[in-house]
Amino acid sequence: MTSKVGSSKQKAIEITSPPKAKPKPKSSAASRPPPSDSDEDMEEARIAKANLTKAAKRKSVASSDDEEEEEIAPPKKKAAVAKPRKSSPKPDPKAKPSASSKPKAGPSSSKTKAPAKTSKKSADDDFIDDGDDDEEEEKKPKPAQPDKKQNWAAVKAAQMARNATGGGNAGGSGGTKAIPDGEPNCLAGLTFVFTGELPSFSRDEAQDAAKRFGGRVTGAPSAKTSYVVVGENAGPKKLQTIKDKGLKMVDEDGFLNLIATRKGVMDAATIAKMEKEQEKIRKDAKEMEMREKAAAKGAQKGGVGVAKVVDPRSQLWTQKYAPQSLKEICGNKGQVEKLSNWLAAWEKSRQSGFKKPGKDAMGTSRAVLISGPPGIGKTTSAHLVAKLNGYTPIEVNASDARNKKLIENSTNITNRSLDGWLGGDKATNVAGVEINGRPVLIMDEVDGMSAGDRGGVGALNALIKKTEIPIICIANDRNLPKMKPLQSTTFALTFKRPTAAEVRSRLQTIAFKEKLKASAAALDALAQGSNSDIRQILNMMSTWKLSNDSIDFDQSKDLAAANEKHSIMTPFVIADKLLGPYTFSNTSRMTLGDKMDLYFHDFSLVPLMIQENYLKTTPRKLTGLQGHELALKSLEILDEAASAISDGDLVDAMIHSPEQHWSLMPLHAVHSTVRPAAQMYGGCQAFGPGPKVMSFPSWLGQNSKQTKLKRQLGDIQIRMRLKVTGDKEEIRQQYIPSLFPALVQPLIDRGSDAVPEVIEVMDEYFLSKEEWDYLVELGVGDRNDEATLKKIPTAVKTAFTRKYNSSDHPVAFHKATLFGTKAKAIAAGPAPDVEDAYDVEDESLAVEADENDDEENEDISKDKLIKESKPKKATGKAPAKGKPKAQR
Amino acid sequence: MSLWVDKYRPRTLDDLHYHPDLSQRLKSLAATGDFPHMLFYGPSGAGKKTRIACTLRQLFGTGAEKIKIDQRVFMTPSKRKLDVNIVQSNYHIEITPSDVGIYDRVVIQEILKEIAQTQQVDLNAKQRFKVVIINEADSLTRDAQAALRRTMEKYMSNMRLILCANSTSKLIAPIKSRCLLMRVAAPDDEEMLAVLEHVAKKEKFHLPEEAATGIINDAQGNLRKALLVLEALKMQSPDLTSNITIAKPDWETYCSKVADMIVREQSPDKVLEVRAKLYELLAHCIPPTTILKTIAYCVAEKSDEAIRADIMHWAAIYEVRMRIGSKKIFHLEAWVVKVMSLTKHHYHGISLSDDE
Repeated sequence: MTSKVGSSKQKAIEITSPPKAKPKPKSSAASRPPPSDSDEDMEEARIAKANLTKAAKRKSVASSDDEEEEEIAPPKKKAAVAKPRKSSPKPDPKAKPSASSKPKAGPSSSKTKAPAKTSKKSADDDFIDDGDDDEEEEKKPKPAQPDKKQNWAAVKAAQMARNATGGGNAGGSGGTKAIPDGEPNCLAGLTFVFTGELPSFSRDEAQDAAKRFGGRVTGAPSAKTSYVVVGENAGPKKLQTIKDKGLKMVDEDGFLNLIATRKGVMDAATIAKMEKEQEKIRKDAKEMEMREKAAAKGAQKGGVGVAKVVDPRSQLWTQKYAPQSLKEICGNKGQVEKLSNWLAAWEKSRQSGFKKPGKDAMGTSRAVLISGPPGIGKTTSAHLVAKLNGYTPIEVNASDARNKKLIENSTNITNRSLDGWLGGDKATNVAGVEINGRPVLIMDEVDGMSAGDRGGVGALNALIKKTEIPIICIANDRNLPKMKPLQSTTFALTFKRPTAAEVRSRLQTIAFKEKLKASAAALDALAQGSNSDIRQILNMMSTWKLSNDSIDFDQSKDLAAANEKHSIMTPFVIADKLLGPYTFSNTSRMTLGDKMDLYFHDFSLVPLMIQENYLKTTPRKLTGLQGHELALKSLEILDEAASAISDGDLVDAMIHSPEQHWSLMPLHAVHSTVRPAAQMYGGCQAFGPGPKVMSFPSWLGQNSKQTKLKRQLGDIQIRMRLKVTGDKEEIRQQYIPSLFPALVQPLIDRGSDAVPEVIEVMDEYFLSKEEWDYLVELGVGDRNDEATLKKIPTAVKTAFTRKYNSSDHPVAFHKATLFGTKAKAIAAGPAPDVEDAYDVEDESLAVEADENDDEENEDISKDKLIKESKPKKATGKAPAKGKPKAQR
Repeated sequence: MSLWVDKYRPRTLDDLHYHPDLSQRLKSLAATGDFPHMLFYGPSGAGKKTRIACTLRQLFGTGAEKIKIDQRVFMTPSKRKLDVNIVQSNYHIEITPSDVGIYDRVVIQEILKEIAQTQQVDLNAKQRFKVVIINEADSLTRDAQAALRRTMEKYMSNMRLILCANSTSKLIAPIKSRCLLMRVAAPDDEEMLAVLEHVAKKEKFHLPEEAATGIINDAQGNLRKALLVLEALKMQSPDLTSNITIAKPDWETYCSKVADMIVREQSPDKVLEVRAKLYELLAHCIPPTTILKTIAYCVAEKSDEAIRADIMHWAAIYEVRMRIGSKKIFHLEAWVVKVMSLTKHHYHGISLSDDE
């Protein structure tokens, strides 16, 4: 009995191993022999069988594949597969993805658990109990799968598992559908608007699907909209507009049906439009080619000196397709025009002393500051504009030293190169630009003027104020504090990211010229994925072109995702994302890893943000509940979240313990961030008034307050120590409440008369006025410092202070620092386990010690190497008045 | 005027009011000249420090009572300055390493080495060794405790350690085995009564039995607290006969307010309010375990019999977590939520059965 189960289970392992090996062959390698690297340690017979199965799977149709698997792996099926099938009978198109997903869904769970099992009962139980775990684990393979189709299937599988295990209690039939394989371009010419929440797809997925099949997606319904895909909870206002305009409405199924059944037919207008576009692309491409040829010819004629024109084949695309005329610049048309006009009128403005503002009000500026995100053509535009207006651009960028001295001497501005004279009749500078006595200084990457360029911005600003040549400054962020001086002296031109539509035609032209087959949707996806960073898009395309001749929507989406620039989000954005309604919603495609990644954006602050704000959400899990059910459930999920946070702190304590278990950080991520957020996710007010607004962690403030008060309590305790044996806690809990009637209450009750009495008690315990203040500050509740101090009239307070200062008082001791006692540096000694903790600090100490050494050679006490053996300096002994040889 | 608790503190081992066996043992230990390392432990207000001071006097004479405070400054590798207060006489030195947090190991080693390397110079001194008292020894880090082991043996010739702790549970076994353990138990009711009456006699007033029992019940074995309360009461009503109520310290009243909030309403909003109050308590140096304990007792008192056990159960669990963890408020809050959930469920459990 047991042996049989065991063997069948091993088969299950076999079956489920392919996904591990699959990423290697990728989609293109389907015909290659199946990889056997993952099977090394298995018995040969089973290897054969497994390979056979794999091969069969590749060849066979989806349905037969499904059957075969059922035959081979019954125990696994029972647990993970059978359930979803029962729970959701699916129409035809779904069969395929679900079948191919199975090998993916199983692996992690069955693979990790199976070897440990011995008896059938325990094994089966475990599979069933661990439904929830499976869900998380099954999601993990997703990011590792480069193949889009399989990736999709993995997600499907994950969702089926979720439904089966009852994870999705809110979404009903959520996430059981697959997008059918429609004809390519079957939605061409159609415009979609999505509104509301679709039951099984997230908004993004549905929109992607529409785009993938050639449809257009717009945000708001208009007369041009062909279909409105309506989901749950659609806004009433939107529905009204839809009704008013008489637009066609479909639900999710209708939308899928459209994809599955519609043939890619286009009406005449669309076809005409597309042809027109094609025509334009062809024309542009031809133009480009002509230009290239002309340049090549020029190069051949030029002879020795002109080495500037390079073979276009060896050029980067970004250089090759840099715009040559103003109309080729994508987006920011208005800004570029302004820049051009300003430059053209610059000479005139100068003659009029920069007094006349002119049309764009730019005539008063000697310089402009272009700002905008990277890769949208700021530098290109500046160069182009300069060239077209007959100026010689002289670029100084971050690779040049730009400190105060260099800029003041402005050596590089009038600098002329001999370079051009060698080649021919015209003077050109090193960049091959003709020198004609009309230079324009382009200061690129001004915000990159940092430590090495000390005083650079200031000097540049001074230069701008008196410059006799136009200056164009370029920066990414105009609002940085160090850019402040430039803001008043330059005219600000803000470049925005071009929209996908603005970039599209240029990209199409380039793609056509490079013979890369790319649909408009694919190029749009690239533009969107890279935030319209044209430089990056071109780089991606040129790389892609090396190995492929065409790119489709999904591929370009993946490509963009692979090249995604990882930006660090702010803690508020992260918290909003985690506690917001989407990350944990049923249709969310974020894996556990993705969610944990949010924690790693700022692992010290995110857990605190979650802890601070998890009580302030309107949890999704409570929708539809009412009365005491709502109250009970609300406390239940709260309890879950709070205990998860508590768990998280235990892990955190281990991470920051002397043992430094940094490898536990993923665990900390789950406990401190993902688990609470998974319970409490839902809306969270991001800003505005009210108590429910997301706020910055108060823990930090409270903690520093606690540290401060602790120090003050320590001051009180050590002064009282001569009389009192209690430790700090005893002082706070017993003495301070008892001393209050003797030290503070008399001042409240009897005013100035009580002052001598109070001072007597203070002297008895060696407390000074300072400690009296601390003592008041340490009160809570009715005795909090604010309330207490309010009760004492100001006159009494001043009388108290004056009286105290006018007389002598016994002093317990004097602060060591008063006598200039040198602090003794303590080094992190040879405690083997904690070495790591001190490493960084130690190094910085060493460096600083070296620096100090140079400055003050005579003070060897600061030298790290000598300090160990040096006897400790005597600290300030409390001399002077009232030296407390306590009389006990 | 000193408070009575300080005024009437016993100065010699003979003056001590209770634990006569302990006093006797200390006396004979001090007489032999073969004085071991010692570990005094017991609840606060039981008289550990008083006994240590008495023992020192027995060892060194009145010179040990002439103490002064000295402040040393240390600089951490991250350039933060740490003030370390040292209480010392000619014969002994007293340090509280918990002042310096995680740097306690280095600081202790530094100070101990310094003391151990110098011999007693006073030829008239009764003993050849000096005594180092380490306060709050139970809050020493593991590192520091481990570092102490060797030191304790190495410098035995001219130094003795006296550790003072509330409980031995946080001390590692090697330390415990190197010390003579001295348990100073809290005084029982009769012993406390004797002390209170002694003080009353010295202050020349009559202590009514009623008031005495009230005070003793309130103090729960903390003699310091009992004496402070006695003085407060005496100030409040000089004859101590009328219906006197013992005023609770500010933080205790505050804690009971928090307990009220928990019992009265259970909702996320209330948790937020409770959190603010807990922060207030924590910031004002009330130890988290004390907060939890006080609130838990109050809540249990006000809750139904059926869930009291659960409330205490969870309080115990979260107290452990608090000691292990680093951010106390997280665990306090988790406990509050747990109790709220328990209360609510219990309440609805009842109301549902009533409906039926």
